[in-house]
Amino acid sequence: MSAPAKPIAETLGLRGGWRGKWLPWALIAPMVLFALALTVLPLCYSLLTSFQEYRLGQPPAFVGLQNYQHLLHDLNFRGSLGTTLIFTIAATGAEFVLGLALALLLKEEFRFQGIIRSSLIVPMVIAPVVVGIIWRLLYNADVGLFSFAVQALTGKSLSVLSSTTLALPALILVDIWEWTPFMFLLLLAGIQSLPQEPFEAARVDGAGAWNIFLHLTLPMLQPVIVVALLIRALDAFTVFDQVFVLTQGGPGTATEVATLMIYKSAFRFSQFGYGASMAIALLVLVMFFSAAVTRAFKGKA
Amino acid sequence: MIRRQFLKKSLGVAAAATAAHSLSSCGGKKDASGRGQITFGSYADPALDILKEVILPEFEKVTGIRTEWVEADFSGWYQKALNDGQTKAGAFDIYVMDDLWVPRFAGAGYLANLDEMGFQTDQDFVPSALDLGYWPPKTGLRQPGIDPKAKSTLYSLPLISDVQLFFYRNDIFRNAAPATWEEVLRMARQKSDPTKRQYGWVTRGVKGNPIVNSFFVLLHDFGGDIFGENWKVVLNSPQAVEALEFYLGLLTYAPPGVAEFDSDQEGATLLQGNAFAATMWTGWCPQTDDPTKSRVVGKINFDVPPKNRNQVAKLGLFMAGIAASAPHRSEALEFLKWFSSPASQLRFARAGGTPFRTSAFKDEEARKKSRWLDAILRALTLGVPSPRTSDWSKVEDILGTELNRALLEKGKAKEHLDAAAAEATAFLKSAGYPVG
Repeated sequence: MSAPAKPIAETLGLRGGWRGKWLPWALIAPMVLFALALTVLPLCYSLLTSFQEYRLGQPPAFVGLQNYQHLLHDLNFRGSLGTTLIFTIAATGAEFVLGLALALLLKEEFRFQGIIRSSLIVPMVIAPVVVGIIWRLLYNADVGLFSFAVQALTGKSLSVLSSTTLALPALILVDIWEWTPFMFLLLLAGIQSLPQEPFEAARVDGAGAWNIFLHLTLPMLQPVIVVALLIRALDAFTVFDQVFVLTQGGPGTATEVATLMIYKSAFRFSQFGYGASMAIALLVLVMFFSAAVTRAFKGKA
Repeated sequence: MIRRQFLKKSLGVAAAATAAHSLSSCGGKKDASGRGQITFGSYADPALDILKEVILPEFEKVTGIRTEWVEADFSGWYQKALNDGQTKAGAFDIYVMDDLWVPRFAGAGYLANLDEMGFQTDQDFVPSALDLGYWPPKTGLRQPGIDPKAKSTLYSLPLISDVQLFFYRNDIFRNAAPATWEEVLRMARQKSDPTKRQYGWVTRGVKGNPIVNSFFVLLHDFGGDIFGENWKVVLNSPQAVEALEFYLGLLTYAPPGVAEFDSDQEGATLLQGNAFAATMWTGWCPQTDDPTKSRVVGKINFDVPPKNRNQVAKLGLFMAGIAASAPHRSEALEFLKWFSSPASQLRFARAGGTPFRTSAFKDEEARKKSRWLDAILRALTLGVPSPRTSDWSKVEDILGTELNRALLEKGKAKEHLDAAAAEATAFLKSAGYPVG
C-alpha cells in the first residue's frame, strides 16, 4: 500500500514562510498590474482630464468642476442622453422579445436546424460599420428598398434618414437586425440547459403551452434573461458605429446619441476636457443602471 | 545539452539578434543607398492616387530616398496625426492634412517651420493656395492669444489644389455655363422632372461640414459671412438669410432625401445623369469622363461658381507639413522642395494631378489631359477658405445642424440662422473670443 499523496502546496514548498505568504501574490501581480494599466489608468487619466481645460498646443489648465457645471446646462447633452435612453430601451426590448420567440421556435431538433441557426447569427458577425453601409443603401430615398416599397404602395417616395420622426426608429431597426441573434443565442442556450423534469410533470398534469411558458420557462430562465438584457442594454447605451455611418446624429439632432457627442467634442472640436467630463458622466450613469439592475435581481442572475 | 546550457545559448542568440537589429536601425531607417526613408501619413482619397502611383516612385528614383505611405480614413488619420503631434512620437515625417487642420497643427507646434528650414517660395505658386500654409494667417482675423503683429510663417505646402467647381450639364445649359445663380434656378424650374428622376440641382445636405461647404459659396456670394470684426458672429445677417432662402429655393429641385446626401451621393446623382448642376470638389472631375463611372461622359462641363454679387469659390486644399517630431526632416524637406519644383509640378499636372504652380496649370499638354485645369485655376483666384481658427469645426457643426434643420423644414431661414448665431456666439465667448 502506497503512502497517501502530499498536498500540492506542500510538495512545492509553499506552505508556511514568506514563500507561502507572498509567492501567490507575486505570481499574479504582473497580470493584475497589466490589467490595471489597461483599465484603471486610462480611466483615472480621463477623470483628471475632465477637470481641465485642454486645448491643443497649450498646457492643460485646471478648471475644477467647470466642465461639469457646463454639462448640467448643456441642452444638447441632455437631449443626447434622452435619445440614447430611447434607443436603448426600444432596441433592447425588441431584441429580447424577438430573440426569445426565435429561441422558443428553434429549440427543438428539426431538419436544416444547423443551417437556419447559422444563418440567423450572420448579422451579428458583420462589422457594425459594414452594417451601417448596407442599411444606408437600403434606406436610400432614391434607390433604396424601403423607398421603393413605399412608393409602390403609396406613390410617394420615402426619405427615412431625412425624417426627424423616422430616423431614430430606423437606427433602432438596424440594431434589432444586428443584435437579435445575440439575444437568441443566449436565450437558446439558457432554454436548452433547463431541467426537463418540471416540464414533463406539468405536461402530465395537463398544463397548456402558454401556462408552461408563463409559469415555468420564464421564471426558470430569469437569470439568463437578466444577464442578456444587461449585456445588450449596456452595449446599446454606448452605440456609435451605426449612428456615425448612417446619420452623423442628424437630421438636426434627432439621432445624436451621447457617444457621438463625446466623440465630436474630443476629436473634432479638440475639447478634450469637456469630452472627458461627458464620458465620465455617461460612465456614472451606466454604473448606476447596472448596479440597480443587479440589486433588483440579486440572487436570481 | 542540459536545460541550463540550452537556456543560456538561446538567450545568447536572442541577444545577438536584438543587438544586430538595433545597430542596423541606428540613425533612422536607411536603405542600401544610404538615403533615408520618409513616412507619409494621410487620409485615403482617390485624389491622391497620382501622387502615390506616379510622383512618389519618381521621387524615389531621382533621390534614392524611399517613401512609405500610411493611410486611414479621414477621421482615423486626424486622430493618429493628433496623437503623433501631441506625443511627439515621430511615427510620421510628413502629415497630409485638410487645410482646416493647419491652424490646429501649426498653432499647437506639431509642424516644422518651413521658413526656418530654408524653404523658398516664388511668384509662380498660386497665392490663394500657398496662403493656406501660413500660420498665423496672412490676412483676416487672428485667433485670441495670437499676437496681432506676429509674422505669418510657412508651415505647410499645398499638395492637391482642391476647390469647389460648378459642374453643369452641357446638354441642358447649351450655350455656356450659367453666369448667375438666378439662371441656375430658372433652368431647374423649367427642366426638372422628378417623374423621370431629372433634378435641377443636387447638393450635400447632411449636417455638419458637408452642408456648410455647399452653402458656403452662396453665403459669400450674397454678401454674407461667418464672422465680422472682432469675431462677431454675422452668419444671421440679412444677406445670409437671403442666401439661405435662395439655397432652399434651389433645393425644391433637388432629389428626395437630399438632407442625408454627402459627397458620394451628390456625385453619384450627377454621374448617373439625374442632376443638371452641382458645386463639387475637383476630385470628381476625372470620374465624369470615365465611362465605367459616368453615364454622362462628355456631357459635364466645369466652371467657376455662378455669380450673384461676389463671385467666390470654396477652397479645400490637401496640404503637406513636416512633423515637428519627424525623424527624417531633411529628407522630408527634400521631398517638398522636389515636389514643388516647376519640373515636378509640370510632371504632376501632365499625369492628371492638380498642381499648385500657375505655370503647370497653364501647360497645354496638362490641359489636354485634364480639361478642368483652367476652371480650377480661375476658381483658385476666387477662392475663399474656411475661417482660420482652430475652433472652426465647432462653429461649423452648430451652423451645419441648423442648416440641415432649415432644409428639412424647407423654410424658417432666419429662425435657424438666428439659433446658429446665438449658439456659436455663446461657444466663442466661452472659448475666450471677444465676439464683437
